[in-house]
Amino acid sequence: MSEIEQYLAPENLASALEVMAAGAVTLVAGGTDLTPQINEGRRSYAPTLINIRHIEGLSGISAPDGHIRIGCLTTVSEIRQSDLLTTAAPILCEAANHFASEQIRNAATIGGNICNASPAGDMIIPLLVLGARVELASWKDGGVVVRQVALKDFFTGPGRTVRRDDELLTAVIFARPAENFIGYFRKSGPRPALEISTVSLGIGGNLTDGRFSDVRVAFGAVGPTPMRGKNTEAALEGKILTPDVIQAAVVAARKDVTPIDDIRATEWYRNHLVAVFTEELLQNVCQN
Amino acid sequence: MSEQVAFQHIEKSSLIGQRIKKPDAPAKAIGKTRYINDMVLPQMLYGKILHAGRPHAEIIDIDISAASSLPGVHLVITAKDIPDLKLGFVKDNAPLKDKVRCERDEVAAVAAESEAIAAEAIKLIRVTYKDLPGVFSAEDGLKDGAPVIQERFPDNKSLKFEFHHGDLAGAEAGSDIVLDDVFNVHYVTHCCMGTSCAIADFDHNGKLTIYSQTQYPYNYKMDLAPALGIDPGDIRVIQPPTGGSFGAKLDVYPFEPVAAILAQKTGRPVKILFDRQEEFINSPTRQPARIHLRSGCTKDGILTFRAADVLMDNGAYTSWGPTVPVIMMRTTSGHYRVPVVDFTGQAVYSNNAYAGSFRGYGNVQMTYATAQHMDMLAEKLDMDPIEFRLKNAQKSGETTPQKSFLRECALAECLTTAADAADYVAKLKKYTDERSEEGRYKRGIGLASSIHNAGGAKIHKSDGCGTILKMDDYARVTVITGASEIGQGIDAVIGQIVSEELGVPPEHVTLVNNDSDLGPWDVGVHASRTTFIAGNGARRAAIKAKEQILAAASKQANVSAEELDLRGGYVVQDKDGAVVTRLDKMLRQMHFQPEPDVVMVSDYYEPNSEPEGRDHISDHSAAYAHAVHIAEVVVDTFTGEVKLEKITMAQDVGRVINRMGLEAQMEGGVAFGIGFALSEEMLFEQGRLKNPNFRDYKVPTAPEMPEIEMHFIESDCAEGPYGAKGIAELPTIVIAPAIANAVYNATGIRFFNPPMTPEKVARAIWEKTQQ
Ligand SMILES: Cc1cc2nc3c(=O)[nH]c(=O)nc-3n(C[C@H](O)[C@H](O)[C@H](O)COP(=O)(O)OP(=O)(O)OC[C@H]3O[C@@H](n4cnc5c(N)ncnc54)[C@H](O)[C@@H]3O)c2cc1C
Repeated sequence: MSEIEQYLAPENLASALEVMAAGAVTLVAGGTDLTPQINEGRRSYAPTLINIRHIEGLSGISAPDGHIRIGCLTTVSEIRQSDLLTTAAPILCEAANHFASEQIRNAATIGGNICNASPAGDMIIPLLVLGARVELASWKDGGVVVRQVALKDFFTGPGRTVRRDDELLTAVIFARPAENFIGYFRKSGPRPALEISTVSLGIGGNLTDGRFSDVRVAFGAVGPTPMRGKNTEAALEGKILTPDVIQAAVVAARKDVTPIDDIRATEWYRNHLVAVFTEELLQNVCQN
Repeated sequence: MSEQVAFQHIEKSSLIGQRIKKPDAPAKAIGKTRYINDMVLPQMLYGKILHAGRPHAEIIDIDISAASSLPGVHLVITAKDIPDLKLGFVKDNAPLKDKVRCERDEVAAVAAESEAIAAEAIKLIRVTYKDLPGVFSAEDGLKDGAPVIQERFPDNKSLKFEFHHGDLAGAEAGSDIVLDDVFNVHYVTHCCMGTSCAIADFDHNGKLTIYSQTQYPYNYKMDLAPALGIDPGDIRVIQPPTGGSFGAKLDVYPFEPVAAILAQKTGRPVKILFDRQEEFINSPTRQPARIHLRSGCTKDGILTFRAADVLMDNGAYTSWGPTVPVIMMRTTSGHYRVPVVDFTGQAVYSNNAYAGSFRGYGNVQMTYATAQHMDMLAEKLDMDPIEFRLKNAQKSGETTPQKSFLRECALAECLTTAADAADYVAKLKKYTDERSEEGRYKRGIGLASSIHNAGGAKIHKSDGCGTILKMDDYARVTVITGASEIGQGIDAVIGQIVSEELGVPPEHVTLVNNDSDLGPWDVGVHASRTTFIAGNGARRAAIKAKEQILAAASKQANVSAEELDLRGGYVVQDKDGAVVTRLDKMLRQMHFQPEPDVVMVSDYYEPNSEPEGRDHISDHSAAYAHAVHIAEVVVDTFTGEVKLEKITMAQDVGRVINRMGLEAQMEGGVAFGIGFALSEEMLFEQGRLKNPNFRDYKVPTAPEMPEIEMHFIESDCAEGPYGAKGIAELPTIVIAPAIANAVYNATGIRFFNPPMTPEKVARAIWEKTQQ
């Protein structure tokens, strides 16, 4: 028996936000995180369950003036198959390729992946590399108000973010990468499908005459939140990727991460993979 | 049908070895099959069990008042409400417990109007426990002062099995090479797609009908009845379509008597169905084992002895798991020609999960050790690895020290066929040479073989199966068999065999089974036995029917019965296939004549094997078979990921019956073995399962399945139907050590403790570089 007293499936954003402003709600998009969490007893429903999937204007990928905007309801399958992203930000498609399975990808949304705030959330890593911001909407004084937060500042702990309970994440936005932008994503696991990352890594930047600049590095599953690798970025910024530079980046990467032991991997193995993947992705950049 | 055909000639043809479609496949593919999990009976209640969720505790108090008064709840029961009746292999288990001995222990049960109400009621039961110190390994269970798990067994020692043959000390002294290693074979579980389910329904005469996933309906009654205090004769077992068993359903487990007790007390049918987490925690596992193996050989490469000391974590109760030494010792004594054998297997009670039987039954564990030792001996001898194995491979007519009689033995042929097909010897050398070269990715090739019973296994007094066959006036055949169909494909095989004998299309054969009130006795679907045993039975029944028909036709057509045959729905002349009469017409004529006769025959087939016996010296199967697998892998030495690229297998199948079913059994079998070797592992911490879900318990997925090249060796088994042998367990048994040998070839590292997960492999490689 559920604790849900009210189920709503609003068709416009304002009515959803109005209910959210009034009291505790649970939002469901694809339900691929929420349902198992409820079933395992790790979470319970608030009295009002809002299915946000019918809200107009929250899905789809567009390219307004030099930016790319992905609506929160866009599924991982849509990202994987998007022509726009394949050209403009293939690192996102790469992450989508290694995400769950066909069935899950068809249901899983990008907004759900971000708001679930798992340190192992796979779409978050390329978004951090792309320098993305999230758009949060809420209801105030009879109208919709919107604020933006840089994704790197969004996460505060496992499953925790700066999003207030009355806010709905409507979209994720990033500047369209430059022509000479190169980005790679890597995730652990021998299984081609249905693997939760024990370590994931994204590296991206602009490559001009062998020199790597505007470098962003992001790590998943090696700390309490998905995170940017400041030391690694510093080790790479403005450099030509010589073997020495790559080795320095590997050392820096080990400093950036704070992995723990859990049933999926030990701290040792996560540290080991961070080093392996950092080197591997930088080699990929070199070979480009 | 036009009478024109009467002038035709029908050539003799055979279906044996052809690809026969599984009759129920379309219904399963389109979702029409009603599995037991889907079944709803009128007035049915939903049962649910409260599991302890802690490994060892006294139960101080159980307060069921809130649960009982929840609207929609019909009954809440605890151990106090039922008689103190036991179940299990040594009757150390009970439907509901008065003391907690493992995480899954059944503490209370509820019957309610809906699943949701039952789940809510379970949450309302308040239990006060007093936790006790626990035992979480066999080694700890043997320590002085270890907590006692089962009061009847104060030293925590459960079952023990031994077999000794020959002069061990002498054999050791005469060995030039002796290997001495400890293998730790881990916990895995069956992961049936259909979770465990039982529906119990009592009629007003006190007779129980139980809808069950059981694999052994007839002895199941004998095991279930004592837990209920009723006569086994008052139980009818119906086996609706089930989503997999693989050995998990070869015993009675507590949820089954609990469903029956709830049904008996409420007077309503009661269904208990596990969710996936319950399935992981409350199902039997494969028996884990610590195998201390010693093997010896002379410098000429002749095996001198094998000694195995096996320690098993029994878990809290005794199901079939700790009986696996019965097969482990056959591997120890029969996997290649072993002149001197020493085997001891001891199980020790603990507060961990308990094991049941599981495809491969002890042989998966043992072959993981013996097949690696064979590989290691070949390397130490610096001998051609195939030559070494051939030197020790038995030949047809040999008998093992336990008296397994290898009437048709195709081990040598399996070895050379697989090795030639995979270019094994050359690749082995090449990859060994490449091992020391630079490079992240290393290739490896590994070969393993094993032996398994292939004509049943007489671990009960009888290993037989009954068959009843009748034909109607339209030449349609009904076969009532004791054999259970649990997805493995006996439905297709019996249709095929009957069709072969009676010359009717397989679609004209209807199989009636999976109901203990209808079918004659059978020991159960296990031990790779059903095609062999039930197939023989069906064939013998069909031959009797054929004789009856041909005798009648002979009288009518004035030709001797020996000169007639049944083909394509006709009675024909055997020599040229000239049509004599239509079969359906013949049957009607037999029926509607002054001395009427209908075709209605029966057969009870008992294989000519010997009971296992206490000393384990017996020819316990009617046939034995070998298989050889060659695995080719690529190891990412950085991440430790092992990619299995190809399997080349050669198996002695006696004779191919249904080629499609055979291939599917090979594919399914290796999928189990691959998971066991590379990724599947139940992670226990202080008796609690840490990964009761498919996210963290990693079964292989479809894209991980490698290319499989299959070679079937047809040794023509004298006792098997058309020469066939049992086939279904060997693929699970042989692949894991083949992978381990391949990983060794790639990395130079032996993995004695499966699974070879990326982390384990990466760590071992890294540690080696640190030395
Ligand atoms: C079998 C399986 C495999 C998986 N594999 C992967 C994988 O490989 N990689 C990976 O990263 N994840 C994986 N996941 C997790 C999950 O699929 C993803 O995180 C997915 O993107 C979640 O999206 P959803 O729409 O289903 O989220 P939901 O379950 O609907 O929501 C997740 C959370 O976010 C909240 N939420 C959703 N949308 C919004 C919004 N717009 N604003 C505010 N809050 C919101 C919900 O309230 C909930 O708390 C897997 C899950 C399963 C079941």
